[in-house]
Amino acid sequence: MSLARAGVVVRKELMDGLRDKRSIWSLVFSSLVGPLLIGYMFTAIAERQRGAEEVKLPVVGAEHAPAFMEWLGQQSGVEIVEGPVDAEKAVRERKQDVVLIIDKDFTDKFSRSLPAPVKLVADETRDTARPKVRRVRSLISSYSNGIGALRLIARGVSPTVASAIRVEDVEVSSSQQRAARILGFLPMFLMIASFVGCLQIAADSTAGERERGSLEPLLLNPVSRRAIVVGKWLAAAAFGAAAVLFSAALCTAIMHRIPLHELGARFRFGAPEVAALLLLILPAAFLGSALVMFVSMFARSYKEAQSYLGMLVLLPMLPGMLTALMPMNDRPWLAPIPILGQYALMNDVMGGKMPHAIFFAIAAACTIATAVGLVALTTKLIQRERIIFGR
Amino acid sequence: MIAIDGLEKRFGQVLAVRGVTFQAPDGAVTGLLGANGAGKTTTLRMLSGLMKPDAGAITVDGIDVVADPLTAQVRMGLLPDSRGLYPRLTPREHVRYFGGLRGLEGPALDERVKTMITKLGLGPVADRRVEGFSQGERTKVALARALVHHPRNVILDEPTNGLDVMSTRAMRELIRRLREEGCCVLFSSHIMQEVSALCDRIVVIAHGTVVADGTPDDLRAQTGCENLEDAFVRLAGLEGDEPAEASA
Repeated sequence: MSLARAGVVVRKELMDGLRDKRSIWSLVFSSLVGPLLIGYMFTAIAERQRGAEEVKLPVVGAEHAPAFMEWLGQQSGVEIVEGPVDAEKAVRERKQDVVLIIDKDFTDKFSRSLPAPVKLVADETRDTARPKVRRVRSLISSYSNGIGALRLIARGVSPTVASAIRVEDVEVSSSQQRAARILGFLPMFLMIASFVGCLQIAADSTAGERERGSLEPLLLNPVSRRAIVVGKWLAAAAFGAAAVLFSAALCTAIMHRIPLHELGARFRFGAPEVAALLLLILPAAFLGSALVMFVSMFARSYKEAQSYLGMLVLLPMLPGMLTALMPMNDRPWLAPIPILGQYALMNDVMGGKMPHAIFFAIAAACTIATAVGLVALTTKLIQRERIIFGR
Repeated sequence: MIAIDGLEKRFGQVLAVRGVTFQAPDGAVTGLLGANGAGKTTTLRMLSGLMKPDAGAITVDGIDVVADPLTAQVRMGLLPDSRGLYPRLTPREHVRYFGGLRGLEGPALDERVKTMITKLGLGPVADRRVEGFSQGERTKVALARALVHHPRNVILDEPTNGLDVMSTRAMRELIRRLREEGCCVLFSSHIMQEVSALCDRIVVIAHGTVVADGTPDDLRAQTGCENLEDAFVRLAGLEGDEPAEASA
């Protein structure tokens, strides 16, 4: 049975698909959602980060601690402004993220080397305020430590005596891995694009074919059924792959415009990373289209197929959500599991740790093999009398 | 040449086709006549190779359809019950697609596509999408793509269904031309006039079995009716009295 005729089917399905508004719409939609959301997320995070570094700090009672205020004002990005009359109300009503209140006993206690009281008014439940509060708190504590050390030295005591334990932060994740946490959604969007991009054309060439009653005339041609199914499969996979490529191109373009360095991440989203992601995702487009075709073959109409496919879209999304929330770095042994394996490897790629080429090969081989299995099942289905004639 | 012998098909409890036997020779038009639900379409579906019979044999030019449907399909051109067009493709693209599936390519394919478009008078609409085509135009497109490979055996399921007078006449003309070319033409119909106007042989099917098989004159003689339509009604057991033939 030659597969040469599959080419005839591919050409026809592509021509038909490119004329189908629904197919084009799903292709465009699936490739735009990812880039737009990623762009939005990055811009929002970058802005918040910038907000934390450039702190406008409202201070109530600044006159009680002129030296402290002077020191604070000298720190980069910090600007001292007059605080509101009712600090707690201002924070509660979200007019201010954080307000520093200097007690009027500050100078007195400070000069007697007693803990000088200040109040930091903040709402820790607010995500947007948290980086700013953290910055202010660390500024205060470094001033406090610095003064404390000076006082010990003045009394002839080494400041090290006061530190029973010295904590040294060792950040294991590279800055690229930190960025990967934020970028953890990119693989999911690409994966969704690979499924959704082919959804309409795959459903139209199977359930749609049944609905129109065109399956019977088609199968009257002396062409191996496998060639027909393979042709439809390749055409649908081409749509999925196109969605992935558009999506990846747009994401790359957007990420080059976003000031990633402001996220504290020297993230490179260069050609090798893009190529690696595409190598992982493109086989998924073959699996996605095979799966959609297999499921749609059971549907008597396009509408019926859509109701099944709504659930199917969750399949590429769930592992994506999982890995976005709970990064699966360094687990290349997941590679043989379709979808999940791709996610695990993509996480490593995004984290700046390129997995060994063998894992790319394993992931691609296992995913394509699963797809071929589904295509074989679909080939069996398409010959069933109930499917050819049952409308 | 189509030969069907002892064909049976069961759907659940219902025996839809029970021992259908007949032959359709080359260079002749054979009509498969029967009321709706008599088993015509089921018989043709088994002939097409897409439906497996529970018993019986079918050969097309001596090729066993059940054992080797794809080889048999090479020899057949079949207009099925469902015309099943692709709304976004033009008639030319439909014919080209099926020609390609039949292994035609290059200038040979171009030539055949052109011939079929002209033969069926699809010229004026050849490059318009079939969405919104009339029933007659749809049938012509379906027929053009079914016959693109110039088959020796032409099987038409209710070819004049839903056609207007002019389209019906064109269809009859086409069937006659196919006979002149020496093709084996088998077509099904539930309209007596249709069959009597065209057929060299008539096979009457009722309740899944062949109740008469012969020339129009044979049928008149067999039933004693001068009018072919009366003959059909009697043969098909449509008169109301539970006929002996139907349960046989």
